[in-house]
Amino acid sequence: MINTMSADDIVEEILKGNRAILAKAMTVIESTHTKHHKLAGEILDKIMPLIGKAKRIGISGAPGAGKSTLLEALGMYLISKGLKVAVIAIDPSSRISGGSILADKTRMTTLLGDYNAFIRPVPSGGHLGGTSRRTRELIFLLDAAGFDVIFVETVGVGQSEIEVADLVDFFCLLQLSGAGDELQGIKKGIMEVADLIIINKCDGDNKIMAEITQNMLKNALYILKPKHSEWQAQALTCSAKDNIGIQNIWDVVDMFYATMESNGKLAAIRKEQDIGWFKQQIEENVINMIYNTQDIKEFYSRTRARVESNTLSPRHAVETVSQYIAQKLTSEVPK
Amino acid sequence: MDEKLDQWKKLANAEVKKMGKTVEDLVTKTLEGIDIKALYTAQDTNNLETVDSLPGISPFIRGPKATMYTARPWTIRQYAGFSTAKESNAFYRKNLAAGQKGLSVAFDLATHRGYDSDNPRVEGDVGKAGVAIDSVEDMKVLFDQIPLDQMSVSMTMNGAVIPILAFFIVAAEEQGVAQALLTGTIQNDILKEYLCRNTYIYPPKPSMRIISDIIEYCSNNMPRYNTISISGYHMGEAGANCVQQVAFTIADGIEYIKAAINAGLQIDDFAPRLSFFFGIGMNLFMNAAMLRAARYLWSDAVEQFGGNEQSKALRTHSQTSGWSLTEQDPYNNIIRTTIEALSATLGGTQSLHTNAYDEALGLPTDFSARIARNTQIILQEESEICKTVDPLAGSYYVEALTDTIIQEARKIIQQIDKAGGMAKAIELGIPKRMIEEAAAETQSQIDQGKRVIVGVNKYKLQKEEAVQVFDIDNLAVREEQIASLEKIKLTRNSAAVKETLDNIRVVAKEGGNLLEAAIDAARVRATLGEISEAMEDVFDRYVMSNECVTGVISKDYHNSENGAHEFDEVKKLVDDYANNEGRRPRILIAKMGQDGHDRGAKVIASAYSDFGFDVDLSPLFSTPDEIAKLAVENDVHFVGVSSLAAGHKILVPELIKKLHAFGRGDIKIILGGVIPPQDYEFLLASGVAKIYGPGTPMIKCVREAMEQLNPQ
Repeated sequence: MINTMSADDIVEEILKGNRAILAKAMTVIESTHTKHHKLAGEILDKIMPLIGKAKRIGISGAPGAGKSTLLEALGMYLISKGLKVAVIAIDPSSRISGGSILADKTRMTTLLGDYNAFIRPVPSGGHLGGTSRRTRELIFLLDAAGFDVIFVETVGVGQSEIEVADLVDFFCLLQLSGAGDELQGIKKGIMEVADLIIINKCDGDNKIMAEITQNMLKNALYILKPKHSEWQAQALTCSAKDNIGIQNIWDVVDMFYATMESNGKLAAIRKEQDIGWFKQQIEENVINMIYNTQDIKEFYSRTRARVESNTLSPRHAVETVSQYIAQKLTSEVPK
Repeated sequence: MDEKLDQWKKLANAEVKKMGKTVEDLVTKTLEGIDIKALYTAQDTNNLETVDSLPGISPFIRGPKATMYTARPWTIRQYAGFSTAKESNAFYRKNLAAGQKGLSVAFDLATHRGYDSDNPRVEGDVGKAGVAIDSVEDMKVLFDQIPLDQMSVSMTMNGAVIPILAFFIVAAEEQGVAQALLTGTIQNDILKEYLCRNTYIYPPKPSMRIISDIIEYCSNNMPRYNTISISGYHMGEAGANCVQQVAFTIADGIEYIKAAINAGLQIDDFAPRLSFFFGIGMNLFMNAAMLRAARYLWSDAVEQFGGNEQSKALRTHSQTSGWSLTEQDPYNNIIRTTIEALSATLGGTQSLHTNAYDEALGLPTDFSARIARNTQIILQEESEICKTVDPLAGSYYVEALTDTIIQEARKIIQQIDKAGGMAKAIELGIPKRMIEEAAAETQSQIDQGKRVIVGVNKYKLQKEEAVQVFDIDNLAVREEQIASLEKIKLTRNSAAVKETLDNIRVVAKEGGNLLEAAIDAARVRATLGEISEAMEDVFDRYVMSNECVTGVISKDYHNSENGAHEFDEVKKLVDDYANNEGRRPRILIAKMGQDGHDRGAKVIASAYSDFGFDVDLSPLFSTPDEIAKLAVENDVHFVGVSSLAAGHKILVPELIKKLHAFGRGDIKIILGGVIPPQDYEFLLASGVAKIYGPGTPMIKCVREAMEQLNPQ
């Protein structure tokens, strides 16, 4: 249905709160087929002037850290304060089948049924790092559709957290309690991009351990060079299951926005992310273009075969291919 | 002997030479992964720890009683219940008159999950897959003119055990029957609910406490009543093989013993009141051997806790497998059930339920129920199998199988023990994953014809004959229940109700016996929903996480060249779609209502994902509104509804209505599960795109989904 609508009509429906059209527009944005790119571009052009109000929050953490339970508690808390909440949950696609089983939503049943919430699991589509290619644009759409808070949830497996941190204003890392070995398991790189570390499951027998972990993380965060000079990353505990500490978390988020908005830093961060993303997309496109040029493709696979058969050193092969590409570019670019 | 065996081998090799085989090629693998040889001899039973035992004496391989069926045959106990208490009561009395000996009550899913019939979440469930019980008044009607001091009653209840057992006790009390005289069994096996059936209410910890409370109360007041029926049946239905079924069930039993001992009870005070419940599938000797192995393993386990002979004897109820029933050519199910019943009785079961042949289509009719019951009566009274104890004993094959099952199951039990016991293992998802992998593998072998199911993947009928199935007017039942709830609430002493419910909260929080507290509440007519909710206030309502295995089906297809070809052909349709449309086909697999049977949903989700779909899996117990919202927000092409508990006629049209309201009437609805043929027309007219009954090959579902996907 959406393909027969103009970008104007689509945007109008999204602004009116049409859930089905919003979801369809998200699919158009996500599409990897060039035939959808024009419409996607038009929709985005139209909504760009309308966005910027929503808070963009990243939530990441290992499987079992309690991300969904936290989102349920936090989301319902925000809804109770009259806000509208969206969740983009990024799930890994299988490398073998290309298909996926998307997000276990069992821990978000209340949020799922609430009309002030919109939850969209997004298959990563094999994109390295786990964030879907178009997540950034999905955030824009949800922002335009009037959601006040947009969460981007990822399964924490290494690189993906860092990518998500570049998509959002505020990045929370969910951590299981435990000292020693478990704590050393948090990579420094991830600590560096976190604005807040939350130790969930601070309840029952686990309470003391969670508090010890919190103290250790606090100390660790003080030593690290801060991501923003204006913001000291924090460590909090909560029990999403028992709904304890949820308001605290949001108070910290509010404080972050109060600080970063008043000094104009938030706008600067977003601008920087936009430009970084713009650059990255161009690089990706250019590389794709080069590799898909027939001559280069053939030259590349011929050279590769020689590397595989050990008749050419990888080092020499890199130079050969690079030179070939350089030649192509200078000779074929129209004057 | 060795010489003779060599001679046999030569002969055997000569016989199969024409087929280009040797005798080693005749070795086959069972679903349990056990190699079955073409011939078993005395060599296979030499030095087994399991042979040379006698019935009635530990380790009880040959049976828990010395005389077994020679003195008294097994109890014919048919599981039944539907609609209102009044209708079920009439059905019970009719069956008792026709030769049935014990009663086995099936409750509807609303009751299982602790909801009164007027709760909006259970709109499609009331009175459907069992009888609706909201209060002690319903329970009294259920046993009207059935003297509870003479009738052994088995109740399949796990979630709402506290109110149901309280209602049962008070109903008997008002019949004038003292608690001490009550006989029968309450299933009360919560651990397996987290593993497969999903009719739990509370988290594992308070649920285990409820079980200790029941064991404690009954060992003091109801010495003849079985407090738990430790059930492997549902694991079998979820896809567990015989080794897994016996291992997980014994491990569950060990966990209950530990809980009772922790609660301060002595092993011999409660262990004799633990009984078992196994599911019996089509492999005749394997399933008989499973029961023999189970008795050995239980005897062994109880001995570790210092139990006496009586405590060590495993007594079990059995039921023929529902999974083995087919929708296609359903009269074949009579034969399947007969074979399974034979297996259960050769294995030495104490009571038995035989399935009706039409249960893959819907609820049994009077006719199909009669055939099912007569299957057992004929075994008992015509086949003469009851004339001697354990006729399979000494069979080289069966003894060797029994031993192998014991060895293999022991490995799993030890693994669970290492993980910290069954409760912990369940929390870690270990047994669930094992069962789901076994289920996916079996299904894909059936789909490929590697496992023959007559009428499904071989000897298919050209045209299926219509079979008459029983239908419940669910709306009428619900209205009737709501009216009587209103009446109870008007006439009871509400101050007393409030007081007893408050007391349940206090007991839940601070300790004391929950069953005792609930009996007080039942006497003053507190409802099932109210009692359950009072405990929920303290314990919380639990949801299991919803994981799903992937890759098993794809792997299994790629074991053969033909399979790989068939698989890749369909996979290509999906990949081509993804390339042409810039997105993968996407399906939401949905479970609506209180039906927690999710094997089918999980297996089909796994299949779609292996074929390259993006698959959303809904939480269990969703409402049509929640599913519609999810489908719209995820912009899926299909919603695949899995229904095994007869709620589809209300829930599916409701879902379609909601999708239309969102402007997404174009999302296609695929329905799978137990759907009576006479409902097809109505459902298709309501807008369902495709309906798949049990036994549909998964690859067919995927292929047909792709056929429906026109490029937008």
